[in-house]
Amino acid sequence: MKDLARRLPPMSTLGPLLALLAACAFFSYKTDTFLSGQNFSLVMQQVMVVGLLAVGQTLIILTAGIDLSCGMVMALGSIIMTKFAVELGLHPMLAIMVGVAATTLFGWVNGLLVTRIKLPPFIVTLGTMNIAFAITQIYSGSQTVTDLPEAMTYLGDPVMLLGTPVARGVLVLLALYGITWFALTQTAPGRHLYAVGNNREAARLTGISTERVLLSVYALAGTFYGIAAMLSVARTGVGDPQAGQTENLDSITAVVLGGTSLFGGRGNLLGTLIGALIVGVFRNGLTLMGVSSVYQILITGILVILAVATDQLTHKQR
Amino acid sequence: MHAAAATSTQPIVMQAQGLVKRYGQVTALDGADFELRAGEILAVIGDNGAGKSSLIKALSGATIPDEGEIQMHGQRIHMKSPIDARRQGIETVYQDLAVAPAMTIAENLFLGRELIKPGVLPRMLRMIDKKRMLEEAIERMNDLKVGIRSMRQAVETLSGGQRQCVAVARAAAFAKNVVIMDEPTAALGVKEGNMVLELIRRVRDKGLPVILISHNMPHVFEIADRIHVQRLGKRAAVLNPKMISMADTVSVMTGAMSPEQLPREALC
Repeated sequence: MKDLARRLPPMSTLGPLLALLAACAFFSYKTDTFLSGQNFSLVMQQVMVVGLLAVGQTLIILTAGIDLSCGMVMALGSIIMTKFAVELGLHPMLAIMVGVAATTLFGWVNGLLVTRIKLPPFIVTLGTMNIAFAITQIYSGSQTVTDLPEAMTYLGDPVMLLGTPVARGVLVLLALYGITWFALTQTAPGRHLYAVGNNREAARLTGISTERVLLSVYALAGTFYGIAAMLSVARTGVGDPQAGQTENLDSITAVVLGGTSLFGGRGNLLGTLIGALIVGVFRNGLTLMGVSSVYQILITGILVILAVATDQLTHKQR
Repeated sequence: MHAAAATSTQPIVMQAQGLVKRYGQVTALDGADFELRAGEILAVIGDNGAGKSSLIKALSGATIPDEGEIQMHGQRIHMKSPIDARRQGIETVYQDLAVAPAMTIAENLFLGRELIKPGVLPRMLRMIDKKRMLEEAIERMNDLKVGIRSMRQAVETLSGGQRQCVAVARAAAFAKNVVIMDEPTAALGVKEGNMVLELIRRVRDKGLPVILISHNMPHVFEIADRIHVQRLGKRAAVLNPKMISMADTVSVMTGAMSPEQLPREALC
């Protein structure tokens, strides 16, 4: 019995799960269209991108950092991969790899600024958010990249999953969640990441190279943003220089709603997936209810504040 | 068994000669000597500014002395970081509790030294062996008679004394030569402080010599086999707590009394 209780998800995951179910129940009651297979695949398409950004964001927030640049870095990645494929005629696979390499490099630079110059992650990524946005606009001339090779939209095409069409990218998303969950909970580097976020000085004194942990976390987060860029391109079928603007903050919302503490060292990836679903369900449900996008922004803003306030109240005393 | 005569004939484990450390105009260590013998608890006391913490930093690898040398079992050693000190078998328990509060006791015991599952793939992925870590944590804690119910508890659910016990147990589990403890009872109440003192004794009785830095004279007198008095960047004297009063010890520490004025048996 005791063993069973230990195996159940912790309260910090159960809370978000209940919130997700409540949101689903609410929107099913309020609209006729929410509870349909077609709408479900729409929600999943949205969650695909936010959910992947949120993986990188979770890793960074677990180290007591934050990344305000993730959406913009993703947009930069998607412009690079589409332009390399369309204008330079690079093989789509190669173009995607160049894009992912670029976002990884960008994340690595964030990490360098945080570890070597010891700037607060908030300020670093506030700066690089603007830099990434500007580079994206300059490089693309603020023009959408179209006429993509078919291979680049392959992951946006649906497959049947339990009788519902789901974009292939969703499977990529779930696989990456599984791998990252494994790394975080079952491997030494994963535990070191938690330790660095929990008590950096203690981690350093036990012999963990905290700088190396942080640097690889930021670089790896960049890799996830690049993969998110790939899925975003696959979903929309274009390279959009305006992409990532709502997803930027939504990724942070997803992480915090999922019960990961902004103070670092506490939280888990399963919570983030649920958090991303909550964000997706809210955006979708409010749209179905005919709530205008301005009010959606208002509501998601309030959601973040609520989640952060809960985090503060539960972890402040420690 | 721990009478002065017994400990002062024990072999020397760790030794330092003529340590000098300058910070700009300030000379924190001015040719300090140091000597730790097997099986003893050596207390290090000194007024503020006596160079006590500089001495400990030099011995724990946290700072590199400008001059002088440190030996372990007669071999000269060079330590550039606390990691180097650990390689020399020196473990330090820090005052501000170097533990990760949200992680479990078992995880904290093995932090940075996780046990990896056997097999090629688990080694490549550096998969941690949670079961073995848990079993060993239980064994180590039982060994030191630390009464904590579950090693799966997060450290933050423990009392201050229990947390300190986890830190001490971790040091004792991995130290091969020396355990250094920096004010381990400073933040604790009477009962919890005694619990930690009892644990420090058990660490010594298991054969590990302990360097104890403390401001708490009653604790020092209760537990130390010898007392290293640091004053003006040097070692002023090594005292035998069985043969000297607390008041005289404080007088030597503050310079009100010169060690030469003490009876012979008070020195060791």
